[in-house]
Amino acid sequence: MDYDIDRLLPTAQITLEEPPAEKDETIAFLLDLVVENDRVNDRENALEALRERERETTTGVGKGIAIPHAQTDGVSEPSVAFCRSEAGLDFDSMDEQPAHLIFEILVPEGGSDDHLEILSSLSRSLMHEEVREGLYDAESPEGIQAVLGEAID
Amino acid sequence: MAERLVRVVPEAGLHARPASEFVQTANEHDCEIRVAAVDSGGNEEDEPVDASSMLGVTSLGVGHDERVKLIAEGEESEDALDALEEVLSTPENGDSGECDGDSESEGNTSKANGEEE
Repeated sequence: MDYDIDRLLPTAQITLEEPPAEKDETIAFLLDLVVENDRVNDRENALEALRERERETTTGVGKGIAIPHAQTDGVSEPSVAFCRSEAGLDFDSMDEQPAHLIFEILVPEGGSDDHLEILSSLSRSLMHEEVREGLYDAESPEGIQAVLGEAID
Repeated sequence: MAERLVRVVPEAGLHARPASEFVQTANEHDCEIRVAAVDSGGNEEDEPVDASSMLGVTSLGVGHDERVKLIAEGEESEDALDALEEVLSTPENGDSGECDGDSESEGNTSKANGEEE
């Protein structure tokens, strides 16, 4: 992938704080990490795009992972945010498992390939159990970033 | 073992709703099904993944008008491949309107025959 992990997933967009218990609120919670990192110029627009995608079909992809995502001009550059839920969130995933590792991808409109490319690269890396374990074990945003930086090709 | 090359018709590619229909269909069949990207956009490896895993299918990054190879093993292989090919060959039916969320209409609620005036 042609993205620098520090740029795509800066530590400011990673939290180890427990997210809200509801999926909808967690989607907003992750968006706010990107907002606080000054990459969002239209929060409402971005949030609506995420919800719209979620209404189409869930982004819970199983194995304890959810990847809500959207293309929206509400963001200024391709951005990923991450949180980890100890409690587990009901994402209505097909394997009926709660989501513990949640990634949110926001990409400006127009670069449709970017969007799919980030999603598939991330999914590919998350298929490896050792990567998921690494994300569960990491004790800091830097640790999370390092695991993903290594795993994403 | 049965194999088939199928072109992905839906605009979204093997992603979003077409992907979840694909995975659901794979799960409904009692055989082992794998899927690989053929005209790989991002993924150079072309390694088949479990078709019943949403994570696996998402990892392929298959776009509109690209092809996939379906590989099935087991008794229902041909049926499964037929059903999966159908999902991949069906363009998404229009915008689903403004109705709140899942408005998969139940088709024509059949009127009882005897009730005609």
